[in-house]
Amino acid sequence: MKLRVAEEHGEREVEILAREGTHLRARIDGREVSAEFDALATGSGTLSVDGRRFRIVSATRKDTILVAVGPRTFSFIREEEGARHRARGLAAAEITAPMPGKVLRVLVSEGDAVVAGQALVVLEAMKMETALAAESEAVVKRVLVAPGQMVDHGTLLIELSPPAANPSARESDSPAS
Amino acid sequence: MPKRQIRKLLVANRGEIAIRIMRSARVMGIRTVAVYSEADGRSAHVAAADEARLIGAAQASESYLNIDAIIAAARDSGADAVHPGYGFLSERAEFARAAEEAGIIFVGPPGKVLAQLGDKVAARKLARAAKVPVVPGLEAIAPSAARDFAARIGLPLLVKAAAGGGGRGMRVVESLEDLDAALQAASREAGAAFGDGRVFLERYLARPRHIEVQILGDEHGNLVALGERECSIQRRHQKVIEESPAPGLSGSTRAAMIDAALRLARAAQYVNAGTVEFLVDGEQFYFLEVNTRLQVEHPITEIRFGCDLVAEQLKIAMGQKVRAPGAPQGCAIECRVYAEDPRHGFRPATGTVVDLRLPAGPGVRFDTHLVAGAEIGAFYDGLLGKLICSGSDREQARGRTLAAFDEFTLLGVTNTAGFLRDAVASERFARADLSTRFIDEFFSDPPHHDQAESDAALIAAALAAQAPVREAENGIRAASTRSPWAELGGFELWRRQ
Repeated sequence: MKLRVAEEHGEREVEILAREGTHLRARIDGREVSAEFDALATGSGTLSVDGRRFRIVSATRKDTILVAVGPRTFSFIREEEGARHRARGLAAAEITAPMPGKVLRVLVSEGDAVVAGQALVVLEAMKMETALAAESEAVVKRVLVAPGQMVDHGTLLIELSPPAANPSARESDSPAS
Repeated sequence: MPKRQIRKLLVANRGEIAIRIMRSARVMGIRTVAVYSEADGRSAHVAAADEARLIGAAQASESYLNIDAIIAAARDSGADAVHPGYGFLSERAEFARAAEEAGIIFVGPPGKVLAQLGDKVAARKLARAAKVPVVPGLEAIAPSAARDFAARIGLPLLVKAAAGGGGRGMRVVESLEDLDAALQAASREAGAAFGDGRVFLERYLARPRHIEVQILGDEHGNLVALGERECSIQRRHQKVIEESPAPGLSGSTRAAMIDAALRLARAAQYVNAGTVEFLVDGEQFYFLEVNTRLQVEHPITEIRFGCDLVAEQLKIAMGQKVRAPGAPQGCAIECRVYAEDPRHGFRPATGTVVDLRLPAGPGVRFDTHLVAGAEIGAFYDGLLGKLICSGSDREQARGRTLAAFDEFTLLGVTNTAGFLRDAVASERFARADLSTRFIDEFFSDPPHHDQAESDAALIAAALAAQAPVREAENGIRAASTRSPWAELGGFELWRRQ
C-alpha cells in the first residue's frame, strides 16, 4: 500500500513493501528503510528504526492521520484529500480563521468592493490582534461572523467573489449559483 | 488555633489549577466547591470538587469573569472562602472587595493591595519609594513627551498597559515612526482587555533574564521570601519553562533581590502569597511588577522548600502567622505544555484528547486536568499541563525532564511537548544561557532534523492507514477494540446517560 501524505514541508511518500512478523521494510521518498514493529494494541506499540526504539501511538480522524512518536505529535493529510482542499479558486474566495480566537471587528459589509491587502476582519488570538486581509481585488459575497464571536481554527469568516469588473472570472469561479 | 476557620472553599477557576487548589483543601479537611461554565460541564475540575455550580455561558466574561455569578454561587453553596487561582479574577480588586462585602474570605491580598499593585504605574512609584530599582520609564504619556523620552533614552522602547498582564497591550517600538501607532494599538488592546487604556513607556532591555521572588505575608506584618525562580524562557511575554534556583545568579545579587522584594512587599503591606518580578541584566536588576496571586510555576518553589503554597495561602487567610522557611534543596524545572503549534509561531490549537500517557518516577510531578476524551476548545487559556521535575542538582532535574518527556504522549491536540523536550535537551539550555530571547535564538539555530524519528512517524502513519478500522462515535475512527478509542467510545456512551 502506498500513501502520499502532506505535511508542512511538502509531500512525502511512504509505502510498506513487506511485513513479516515484527519485521517490515518500507520505502520512504524513494529510500528503503527497515524497521521492527512491536504492536501493543493496533495503532500503538514500539517501532525500531536505525537502531533506535520509538514509542508510537496513532489514530485516524476524518482525513487526518495522527501519530505520536514519544512526546512529539505529527499530523498527516492523505494526499488525495489535500488535493481536494486545494480546489481551484477556493483559497482566495474564502477567508478562514488561521487559529482559534475571537472576532474583534468586521471591517466590511456584504457587497463591498475590496482591494488586495485590505483588512476584512480583526481577530484576537494569542492575546494579540491579527488583521485578515483580502489577497486580491474582490467583492464581499457573505459575512458569516459578528464581533465578539469565538471561532475555531478553519472557521469560514468571509466569502469573497471576484471583482465586478471581471465577469469572466466570476463565471469560472461561481458557476450556476 | 486559627482566628477564622475555612470549612468550605469555592475555587473560582478551572483547569489544572482548580484541581491543584482542591487537593490542598481536601488535605486540610476543607470541603470544595467547583464553578464551571457551560463549556466545562465535563471538565475534570468539576469532578474533583465535593460539589459544583454552573455559573454561566462558555465565554469567560459570562462565567469565570462574572463576579456576581461567582459570589452568588459561594453564597448558595455556603462557602466561607473563595480562592481565585491565577488568571481570570485573581488580581481584580473588585472581586476581592465583593467577597469581603459578602462576608466571604478572599484567599489573597486585600482589595486595596490588589488595586495599588495591579496598577503598574502605581506599583512603579511604590517601588521607587521603597528604593527598589525600576527600568527607566515614562509614566504619564502625551505623544510629545513620549517622543522626548525616546530621544533621551534611545530605542528600542517598550509600550505597556498600566492595568496589564500576560503580555497584553505590550508593544516593542524599534523606530520613532512606529511610536504613535504602537501607543494607540497598545492602548486599544489594553482598553479591550482590562477596561483601562492607560499605557506607559519603558526602556526595552534586549536580552534580559526574568527572575522572580516568591513571598508570603500575613496580617500580623510578618513577611518571608521563598527564594527565586528563573522564568526567562518565554513566548509572547508568557513563561514556558521555569526553574529554581536561577542558574549562575551570584549569592549577593540573589540576596539583594530578595531584600528588595521584601522591602516592596512591606511598603505595600502585602498579605498572602505574591511574586515580585524582576528583569535582570548582568548583575543589575529592575523591578517589573508584582503578581498578587499564586503563580503557574509555584510548584518548583514548593519542591525546593518542601512546602505546599496553597496550604500556606489558606492558613494565612485563616489568620495564621507565616513561618520562616527552611533552607531550599536541590533544583526543580517546570515545563508548561500548551495547546499550541510551536512550528507555527505557537499559534493556538484545539482538538479532542485521543490518547494520554503521563510520566512518573522519582522527582517527577505532572499537574493536569486532562483525561482521554477531553475537548480543548478556544475559549480559555491553552495550558494543558505542567511537567515538574526535580533533582539534587540541575543536571539531574534536567535528565529527569528529558526522561519524563520520553514517557509522555498526548495525541489529538497539537501541543508543545516535543518542542519543550528539544529546548531542555539543547546545548544552550544545558549551559544555562538563558534570556527572554531564548526561544527566538533556539529557532534561529534549530536542532538537526531527526531522520529516524521522522521515518518512524511516516511508517506509523502508513501502518495506521492500512490497519482495519472501526468507525467510532463522533467521527473518529478506531483501530481496534483494545485501543484507547474503545474507551473514548465508552465515554461517549456514558456521557449520554
